[in-house]
Amino acid sequence: MSTPEENRGPPNKGAAGDGAPPEGWEAPRERWLSTGVRPAFGPRSVLLEVAARLLIPTILVFSVFLLVSGHDQPGGGFVGGLVASLAYVLRYVAGGRRELAAGMPMRPDALLALGMLIASGTAVAPLLFGHSVLESASLTVALPVFGKVKFASILIFETGVFLIVVGLVLSVVSALGARMEAEEEEARAARERARRILRLRGGPR
Amino acid sequence: MNLLIAVPFVVPLLGAAVALLLRRAPRAQRVSSAVTLAVVVAGAVLLLKATASGAVVATQAGGWAAPLGISLVVDPLAALLLLVSSVVLLLVLLYAVGQDISGLSRAMPQVFHPIYLVLTAGVCLSFIAGDLFNLFVGFEIMLTASYALITQALTRERVRASMIYTVVGLTSSILFLTGISLVYALTGTVNLADAADKLGAAPAGLRMVLALLFLVVFGIKAAVVPMHFWLPDSYPVAITRISAIFAALLTKVAVYAIIRTQTLLFGRDDVSVVMLWIAIATMVVGILGALVQDDINRIMSFVLVSHIGFMIFGLALNTVAGIAGVLIYLVHHIVVQATLFLVNGLVRQYVGHTSLRSIRGLTAVSPVLALFFFLPALSLAGLPPMSGFIAKVALFQAGAQAGGWLVWTALGAGVLTSLLTLMAIFRVWIRAFWGTPLPDMLEARAELRRGPDVAGRRIMAVTTGAMVGVGLTVTVAAGPLAELAFTAAADLLDGGAYIEAVMEEGPS
Repeated sequence: MSTPEENRGPPNKGAAGDGAPPEGWEAPRERWLSTGVRPAFGPRSVLLEVAARLLIPTILVFSVFLLVSGHDQPGGGFVGGLVASLAYVLRYVAGGRRELAAGMPMRPDALLALGMLIASGTAVAPLLFGHSVLESASLTVALPVFGKVKFASILIFETGVFLIVVGLVLSVVSALGARMEAEEEEARAARERARRILRLRGGPR
Repeated sequence: MNLLIAVPFVVPLLGAAVALLLRRAPRAQRVSSAVTLAVVVAGAVLLLKATASGAVVATQAGGWAAPLGISLVVDPLAALLLLVSSVVLLLVLLYAVGQDISGLSRAMPQVFHPIYLVLTAGVCLSFIAGDLFNLFVGFEIMLTASYALITQALTRERVRASMIYTVVGLTSSILFLTGISLVYALTGTVNLADAADKLGAAPAGLRMVLALLFLVVFGIKAAVVPMHFWLPDSYPVAITRISAIFAALLTKVAVYAIIRTQTLLFGRDDVSVVMLWIAIATMVVGILGALVQDDINRIMSFVLVSHIGFMIFGLALNTVAGIAGVLIYLVHHIVVQATLFLVNGLVRQYVGHTSLRSIRGLTAVSPVLALFFFLPALSLAGLPPMSGFIAKVALFQAGAQAGGWLVWTALGAGVLTSLLTLMAIFRVWIRAFWGTPLPDMLEARAELRRGPDVAGRRIMAVTTGAMVGVGLTVTVAAGPLAELAFTAAADLLDGGAYIEAVMEEGPS
């Protein structure tokens, strides 16, 4: 597997006017994403990186909004989870698998497990107090800034669902796209090695 | 009681989460999964105790009264199946643990345990679901987990088999969803108890179409002829533990769904003629298929298809005796099929495959293994005094009571199928178990005895023995079992207790 340095985008070659093909046009000088490592497939796109940088926090906040409002308005854990995982997918599309790995809060299967524990835990919790499965209690409190806030215990269940969805999408992305990318990187490194060996031996005759 | 009804569904999900967290600690994972399934078994025992008298217990998830809330219902049928399934699931898991310890399955990744527990949750939810959509959810949980399981330890053959399996599964799921929406369009409810009330007032033609649609949906999943083609192609290629659990449970869950929907939702005589023809075709085609196969696993898969026909036959009779026979048959068949597939896994230790062409003299190689095969095989063929005999006698008696030329034809087909099953079993017995063992089989045995992984293989053998023991218990306990089956069948045909329990049960 290659090191990050080998994969860094080419320094602006085309702009220097040395006759080389202008392959560096699209590569931004500034790092918009955290790792700045180029994905194995395709060129970098400034537009996408800038958009991702700007959009990801907004998407994540929106997903939390959906989660919290879900108990009596459109939204909920499932939709919120999907929206939150879209933020990660966007990050993956813009920056590749290393970018995705840098942004993940924890391993996808741990997320899945945590979500499942929370969801099924809250599903059975009411049973212990003699209520039926998934029954929800709600609590209305007056907070200083927000005013009256209603808190339903089903929100905890929804949080579990949220985590399950995010974990699932992340594990799909890292199993399908990122695996392919890692294989491509390996193949590229192997080609590079082969070329170096051929050069050492005086090239192909 | 509320707590108890939720146990079979929620506990495996919790266990799956724990198993997922313990991926890096295989030992702790094995213990936690086994404990989870043991808890499910205990829950099922208590549920069976509560419902054995014919009582029906129900709870409404979220505290919303039926038909709005999600009803979870346990009647004697569901409790009986929960108990048998959870015992089989537990034993197969222990067998799998033995296999993992012995190092015979190094390719097995650690996701097996979580997926297996999710499958358990799906099976249990299908049994306790009180509305059609929740039944669909249970089926989907079970099937999605099974798609993941059948592709474990991938080989070219398994990819091909799992493609067929997945496509067929998805097709029947789409039909299932269509059926649910049609029922909803007709009655405005998906709650089984509520829909049972309202479908009674629906036009007879529409009701029959719906009954046929549901028969096709679950018929695909139960592998009745002519929708059986996918099963002998996909089950035998999966690894032992998975084909064992699939053969034992997945088709039986579909049979359960047929029983539940046809008795509760639809009129008595709507489809019973169709079902009798299907039963005849399934019995005969399945067993003829078994006779021409050369691989023990494939033979067992065809026998599995063929014996689904017996259950459809009993159900088509629409009498208490007929349905009671089906229930006894279900219990017997779940246990026996699981045992035989586990035994095939043991055979594979010595020869690396299950093709009859190059197995000989297994009796000399391992007498215990031969006994483990012989007892359930006799039971499968329906020789007295095994449980298979009792189940078949119950069915045939019910058929003789019902009468009519078609029923007598089906009875004849059933007797013929039993004889041919005996022939298929003896073919396996003569070719694989008799004769002088091949030299490389003796070598394999010597190597296995010397190997460092004896502990794991001992666990495999003991769990298979335990499964044989469960089969014998079914035989010995046939009296109480039959009593329970008759109670459950009376409940099913009456339907009143079920509907009352669901509709009366308000938010607790």
